[in-house]
Amino acid sequence: MELSFGDALAKILGTTGFTGLTPGHGVMLVVSCVLLYLAIGKKFEPLLLLPIGFGCLLANLPFSMMASTNEGGLLYFFYQGVKYEVLPPLIFLGVGALTDFGPLLANPKMLALGAAAQIGVYTTLIGAVFLGFNLKEASAIGIIGGADGPTSIFIASKLAPHLLAPIAVAAYSYMSLVPLIQPPIMRWLTTPEERKIKMEQLKPISQTVKILFPIVATIVCCLMLPGVTPLLGMLMLGNLFRESGVTARLHETSETHLINIVTILLALAVGSSMTADSFLRLETLKIILLGLIAFAMATAGGVIFGKVMCKISGGKINPLIGSAGVSAVPMAARVSQKVGSEEDPSNFLLMHAMGPNVAGVIGSAVAAGIFISLFGDVGGASPHAQSAFEAVAHIVSLP
Amino acid sequence: MDTATLTTPLTISVIAMSVIFTVLIILIYTIKVMVYLAPYEEPPAPARTRPNPTAAPVVGSRVPPEIVTAITAALGAHLGKSPGEFQVTQINPGQ
Repeated sequence: MELSFGDALAKILGTTGFTGLTPGHGVMLVVSCVLLYLAIGKKFEPLLLLPIGFGCLLANLPFSMMASTNEGGLLYFFYQGVKYEVLPPLIFLGVGALTDFGPLLANPKMLALGAAAQIGVYTTLIGAVFLGFNLKEASAIGIIGGADGPTSIFIASKLAPHLLAPIAVAAYSYMSLVPLIQPPIMRWLTTPEERKIKMEQLKPISQTVKILFPIVATIVCCLMLPGVTPLLGMLMLGNLFRESGVTARLHETSETHLINIVTILLALAVGSSMTADSFLRLETLKIILLGLIAFAMATAGGVIFGKVMCKISGGKINPLIGSAGVSAVPMAARVSQKVGSEEDPSNFLLMHAMGPNVAGVIGSAVAAGIFISLFGDVGGASPHAQSAFEAVAHIVSLP
Repeated sequence: MDTATLTTPLTISVIAMSVIFTVLIILIYTIKVMVYLAPYEEPPAPARTRPNPTAAPVVGSRVPPEIVTAITAALGAHLGKSPGEFQVTQINPGQ
């Protein structure tokens, strides 16, 4: 084969990315650079926004074959871990290995704060339907209010895969903005006297309870909501590695190397799904707006329920710890500590806030399980049970 | 946007929040039962022993640790004490 100098030059120039560059690519390259700036310059969730931003950059280089839709490309294979819901549960395994449920077990009533904060999920669901999304899409958007990245990705890939990129970006961006979003809402909803409340020292918990909790919680929650099993089961397995005391190597791997590797794969895969045709749409702006509402409502729900618990307990519970029910471990608990110590520097709320904080992880996983039960493909009931459920649904006019 | 369209997400929200509270309240009582059945107990304070200042510690000697463990267990059985109540400080294999 002979090539003249001119032909060779023309062929090389014809295959450069410049020839395939569209305005959409250009905008997405700017978006990726903004994400990289937020991660490196502003240190907003850098462990996630940096690989997401770089994945977005790679996916939007023409002819690079790095978008999640480019079959055979490198990031296409990474994306299969998201598509087949493998990576988010593995992140939960690492989170479980990192999480100490001790503060929650010492004061189990804090689980109610984790439940109350899920109000953000459902107000956003209603808002999303109001803005024109269908129920599956609205559920995937609503779960942003759980302030849990892996759960958001898990639900989005299951119920609305075409919205995965904006949902993941909104979830992680707002999680990094928790220290900015939450304090004004917390101060607005509480009085200085409430913010000064000092809570009693937490009781110590036996190691037997710490070992039993992940096993019992898995059985209770997963029997009630089987759809939650991949997330909650992995979370509790990671925690059992931690507490059992007999799997030191598995515990160490889960909380360090495994979670780090999976984070790289997951974030790059999410970034690779941020192509111009999937991201540059009006829906993205709507999702970003709804995400902010979700976080604000979740914070407000937690704080208001904290005030209720404060009244019921005779002023023994500081309502500020309710805001930590939004998950986002441990940042939300740190925010409770910070706002509390602004009012009284000798008030230490951090350990108390860790209870609702880890309860928020369980709460958001349960909220995800409900969406999967309603809209996912969880099969199971016998024909007799199914007809009974249909009869109940008919009576209460369930959708 | 008609009212009927918004009724569905509202119904889902009410039911879902009820389910979340139900599941987590069941967990609250499960935890309470577990804490009641397996209460926290203070770990026994480590027994204070006075090592003989003139005796060389076993650690660092040529006696393998499993031999030290076996001797400690045998002495404990002989003296009727738990291994934490005394400390073997010197073993002379030559005697």
